[in-house]
Amino acid sequence: MVLVLALGDLHIPHRATDLPAKFKSMLVPGKIQHILSPGNLCIKEVHDYLKSLCGDVHITRGEYDDDSRYPETKQLTIGAFKLGICHGHQVIPWGDLESLAMLQRQLDVDILITGHTHQFKAYKHEGGVIINPGSATGAYSSITYDINPSFVLMDIDGLRVVVYVYELIDGEVKVDKIDFKKAQGSS
Amino acid sequence: MAAGSSSSMPPPKPVPAWLNSAAWASKPRSPVRSSYSFKEIGTIQRDKSAPPLAEIGAQEDNHPSSSSGGTVRGGGGGGQQTDALNQARGNGFEASSQQLSRRRIHLAELQRLSSQGIPDSASIRAISWKVLLGYLPKNQDDWATELAKKRAEYLIFRNEMIINPSEVTRRKEQMEAMKAADMEAKEGLLLRHEITHNDHPLSLGSSSVWHQFFQDTELAEQINRDVKRTHPDMDFFCGPTAYAYENQEALKRILFIFAKLNPGIRYVQGMNEVLAPLYYVFKTDKDEDNAAHAEEDAFFCFVELLSDFRDHFCQQLDNSAVGIRSTIAQLNALLRRQDEELWRHLEYTSKVNPQFYAFRWITLLLTQEFSFFDSLRLWDSLLSNPDGPLEILLRVCCAMLLCERSRLLAGDFTTNLKLLQHYPAVDMQHLLRVADGLS
Repeated sequence: MVLVLALGDLHIPHRATDLPAKFKSMLVPGKIQHILSPGNLCIKEVHDYLKSLCGDVHITRGEYDDDSRYPETKQLTIGAFKLGICHGHQVIPWGDLESLAMLQRQLDVDILITGHTHQFKAYKHEGGVIINPGSATGAYSSITYDINPSFVLMDIDGLRVVVYVYELIDGEVKVDKIDFKKAQGSS
Repeated sequence: MAAGSSSSMPPPKPVPAWLNSAAWASKPRSPVRSSYSFKEIGTIQRDKSAPPLAEIGAQEDNHPSSSSGGTVRGGGGGGQQTDALNQARGNGFEASSQQLSRRRIHLAELQRLSSQGIPDSASIRAISWKVLLGYLPKNQDDWATELAKKRAEYLIFRNEMIINPSEVTRRKEQMEAMKAADMEAKEGLLLRHEITHNDHPLSLGSSSVWHQFFQDTELAEQINRDVKRTHPDMDFFCGPTAYAYENQEALKRILFIFAKLNPGIRYVQGMNEVLAPLYYVFKTDKDEDNAAHAEEDAFFCFVELLSDFRDHFCQQLDNSAVGIRSTIAQLNALLRRQDEELWRHLEYTSKVNPQFYAFRWITLLLTQEFSFFDSLRLWDSLLSNPDGPLEILLRVCCAMLLCERSRLLAGDFTTNLKLLQHYPAVDMQHLLRVADGLS
């Protein structure tokens, strides 16, 4: 029962000042085992904040990140799943599911976490699942201004993943979930 | 009190009679007789105050049954053995097993026999403790039903209290009959589903299964830390084997369920020490069936035992008439009644506050002061007292002080405190005899 938090595209301090208060009150240390962030935090203070929530933080480089030492892509294994992270501004057309699927096959991961479009998306194809947690602060993206803050919490339990989607709509936190199973025996 | 211990002592005060008793004479150990010879019973007169009979427990404790593989910590002074005592051992075994095999157990009789020490063999101790604590009813016919009922109850507790939230959400979904097809969707955008009752991992609502789980995790951590430190020298608890691991898991579950069922006192450090002997005795029961259900039995017996002492664990009651402070005051008063001089010396001259030593003695029922097997013998006496274990516990504590009388009178604050907090090894039989002798 591993809890993995995926959130990115915060754009603090350029486009947003902080996470929404309702999100912050929910994110308490001690519950989450891993944090994956596609990038665009953008400053060190945000990185420190994420570290305070959980010791194991993985971040990839977004185009506005201050810290240039973040890698372009990252892969890790949690339980039975291989996860990959990439910001997504490198993949053109931005947000195109076919191209992202190509990246996923390249990285050879079951779940790809990506960002940049600031829109939540969960897409399944035969190679695996692509999850875009959206922007946790609701910062405007290169494409549109109309963004709802959102992030994703995954509960990895054996071969099954429950993805909880937290979205702030009209000042209220809405939580939905998505289930999927990894086919037994598939690598 | 080892016979040979000597420090520079002041001129000897008049020696009390019990200090000169024959029990101190140490003889070389004769080889252990493998079988109990019932034929020689006739020569021994069964009498509560007779020293030979009272030493049976010491024999058994010095040769513990090896089923647990527990290593014995050095302790319990020289076990006296003479031929007469070997016969007496057979006597005690026969008497106890006879008592236990009766259809209707005479509780007072069992208590009397137990206070003299329960033999280690043939799971007599396990059964005796269960009867003495009231877990098993006096009528043997009811045992089967009673046991089945209680064990089933424990299983229900276990399933309710020890939850894995992922499991719970999975079960909920199955109840809501989510289509399996959803999960097996081949391609395309994955659909989002509503969740029920706001039950997500970050939920702060008190009705959320996840929230409860995270709160319990803290409790579980605390229990885990303490269980791992229980009796580190014994293979039964802390060996590298799967058996020891299983025992630790059982202890953790028992303490966790107890804490959840008693939100008033929850878990306090030290409860693991009180539970350990109970679980050990039940788990090393020769009877396979009983040993398999040791966890359930230990849980209920633990609850019974703690019902007498729970006020000691509750911090708010510390200063009340039932709390630990008042019990310590009772001990102090008892000491004063028995030996005014020693009391005065401790209280005024060396200024040793009884809380410094008596706190651990009383709350942990003396499990930490003696070797494990000595404390099992001690618990035989504690549990067999018809007035409740507290009364005899105080008397034993007083006896402990009296036995070290000369050293205490000679010492100042530091030496006395050190002595009392690291109580030296004594002959358990002797200690219990002294305790019995106190009014």
